[in-house]
Amino acid sequence: MIYLGRIDPLLYTTMTKTLEIDIRSAEGLKINRRLIKKKKTFAVARIGDKFRTSNLDDSGGSNPTWNYKSEMPMKGSVQFISIEVFYRTRCAREKKLGEAKIPAADFMGRYSHEGHLNFLSYRLRDEYGDKCGIVNVSIVVKPNSTETTMFEASSSSSEPPSIDGYCGRIVTGVPVWRLAS
Amino acid sequence: MGNCLSGDVAGGKQAIGGVQQRPTSTTTNNAAQNDAVDFFFRSRGQYPLFSQIELSLSASNLIDRDIASKSDPMAVMYLRKKDGKLEEIGRTEVILNSLNPKWIEKITVSFQFETVQTLVFHVFDVDTRYHNVPVKTLKLKEQDYLGEATCVLSEVMTKPNRSMTINLHGNVGAGVTRKLGTLSLQAEETIASKTVVEMNLRSVNLDNKDLFSKSDPFLRISRLVENSIVVPVCKTEVVDNNLNPIWKPVCLTMQQFGSKDTPLLIECLDFNTSGNHELIGRTEKSIAELERLCHQREAINFVYPSTSHGRNKVLKGQLIVDHFVEKVQYSFLDYISSGFELNFMVAVDFTASNGDPRTPSSLHYNDPSGRLNSYQKAIMEVGEVIQFYDSDRRFPAWGFGGRTADGHVSHAFNLNGASFGDEVVGVEGIMSAYSNALTNVPLAGPTLFSHVVDKAAHTASQSLSQNSPKYFVLLIITDGVLTDMAGTIDALVRASDLPLSVLIVGVGNTDFTQMEFLDADKGRRLESSTGRVATRDIVQFVPMKEVHSGQVSVVQALLEELPGQFLSYVRCRNINPVGAPAI
Repeated sequence: MIYLGRIDPLLYTTMTKTLEIDIRSAEGLKINRRLIKKKKTFAVARIGDKFRTSNLDDSGGSNPTWNYKSEMPMKGSVQFISIEVFYRTRCAREKKLGEAKIPAADFMGRYSHEGHLNFLSYRLRDEYGDKCGIVNVSIVVKPNSTETTMFEASSSSSEPPSIDGYCGRIVTGVPVWRLAS
Repeated sequence: MGNCLSGDVAGGKQAIGGVQQRPTSTTTNNAAQNDAVDFFFRSRGQYPLFSQIELSLSASNLIDRDIASKSDPMAVMYLRKKDGKLEEIGRTEVILNSLNPKWIEKITVSFQFETVQTLVFHVFDVDTRYHNVPVKTLKLKEQDYLGEATCVLSEVMTKPNRSMTINLHGNVGAGVTRKLGTLSLQAEETIASKTVVEMNLRSVNLDNKDLFSKSDPFLRISRLVENSIVVPVCKTEVVDNNLNPIWKPVCLTMQQFGSKDTPLLIECLDFNTSGNHELIGRTEKSIAELERLCHQREAINFVYPSTSHGRNKVLKGQLIVDHFVEKVQYSFLDYISSGFELNFMVAVDFTASNGDPRTPSSLHYNDPSGRLNSYQKAIMEVGEVIQFYDSDRRFPAWGFGGRTADGHVSHAFNLNGASFGDEVVGVEGIMSAYSNALTNVPLAGPTLFSHVVDKAAHTASQSLSQNSPKYFVLLIITDGVLTDMAGTIDALVRASDLPLSVLIVGVGNTDFTQMEFLDADKGRRLESSTGRVATRDIVQFVPMKEVHSGQVSVVQALLEELPGQFLSYVRCRNINPVGAPAI
């Protein structure tokens, strides 16, 4: 996978923020393009090398509900957080089902300010790049009481970026030869 | 055909009727009540001449289309329109392995006294998987047809007991006309209410009804209507192999249980994949009595109806209510009347596909005789509605696709021609700004929505940071074909988490299938190119030619999805009407 991106200068900060991530549920989970029926699944929220694991969804199936809230610190320079979904095999091993990468710009900056509850949903893709479901999360960036070095003043008068020159948007590239349509 | 052996067992075990839907999904099966439309007409003194009716369906003696098991029936209800076409109103759920189904999901329809409303029912045998699949996304063409029936709504309402049984008929391709069974309808008036009750139920010491394992119990709650007619209200999910089951919380609206004192029949049944569920025990309690059981931490014993002595056998199995909460579900009007502001924004299509404004065939034709062109008609009709709901009558107005004074094609220029400030006052302001812009801005292209959607999203997000209770609606009046579908979808997905709805009004005669795709009514969520999926459906599409042909009023079409989209935003964030006590 190839990622292109530029850090938006408006959001550059050396401060560490606290994120409250609530991994709510997932839909349409598939293994090898077939909906899973009885496997139990759990989700992991990962920022850099820190991660939080959710509870196991008991009822199993392709539409699990976790409602797992956790808090994680996030450095201002982080561009992605990733949500991974695992399932437990019959031999009690844990295998990865799919992953979704959430760009930091989706819950910080342009449309959401600190303290705003963001409801987001993302497409999960497995190791081959195939679609394997949708995961629903909600993220709140907790406002810090200490000083930040964010350049907030210019954000209120900025205009939305034009379609010709997207600045600071993060793109996800998926190699074509891996996709089996 | 992969499931014809035993049907989708997981689908048959899921809970119906008492489950709280995903907070970001909009309501189904309700063709009757639209708060926003009712309020609009009532304010003009036009009181609605209809009442809301809820229909419960059941069928008997259906034919068996599955090989090694019985059919899994589902009923779909249509309304026959004036031109003979059928418009789908609602669907029941799928019942596993039953030729005499009693469906739990109700379909609501408005009973209009002065018109003849022909209802058409189609019954299908569902062969595809339906576990956790929303019923409205099931493709009817893939299912087996079991029969159809027609009746007139007023006939049902005038019968004693408001119930009627009709014969199913139809061509099932068997070559021989067989009896296809009967369909029964029970009609009831609905009570508009806001109270919602959530209970956690569990049982202990249930009897074992299975041979080699334990029972798989589930609860079925029914309401007793007059004259001992039983209407099923909800059923819980099935808990496998457990004589002390704990079920997921059951959420019932007052519409479902009638009143707090209406007696409810609670039956505990053992699930069998053959469809013949065995009764373990039953009890009759009202919601008020269940509340008392919870607060006083008592349990109620199930009874088994026994025919021999005429007395019921009291079982050891007990029903316990762990948790009982009564909540209020506010309606769209509660929010609006409490001070929630609706802000409308208008964007007009200035692309060349409309035709040169000087030619009479153009959609932008400036007729010297004063006749309104398609755009002006659309603005006038739509404007009446938006002026009613937008209290300050100041609308930001933009055009897109035109060549502005600096020579570049702009995809979001101010309609009033000012460099700063895009607001106009009132519908007359929009009309005059539009006529001025027509003379000053030459039409160009291509048709791109993403800029105006981004601009609207920017306005909506700014109001969020000010914490004021506002909801924004962007009206895009366009003539048709969109050039950048991907860019528009990206912009809509980015805006799907904001207090924003996008209403696309289509003028002219082009093929609007692209717009139907954006409207996402079939249950598919929009997905952007970055992998983000839309949080909720924020688009509604209205083709003006359907309005002008008299099939639907402009008010109805515009406001159809708006209350649902608005409520999906405020409910999942637990935002209450201004000044209301927090739940």
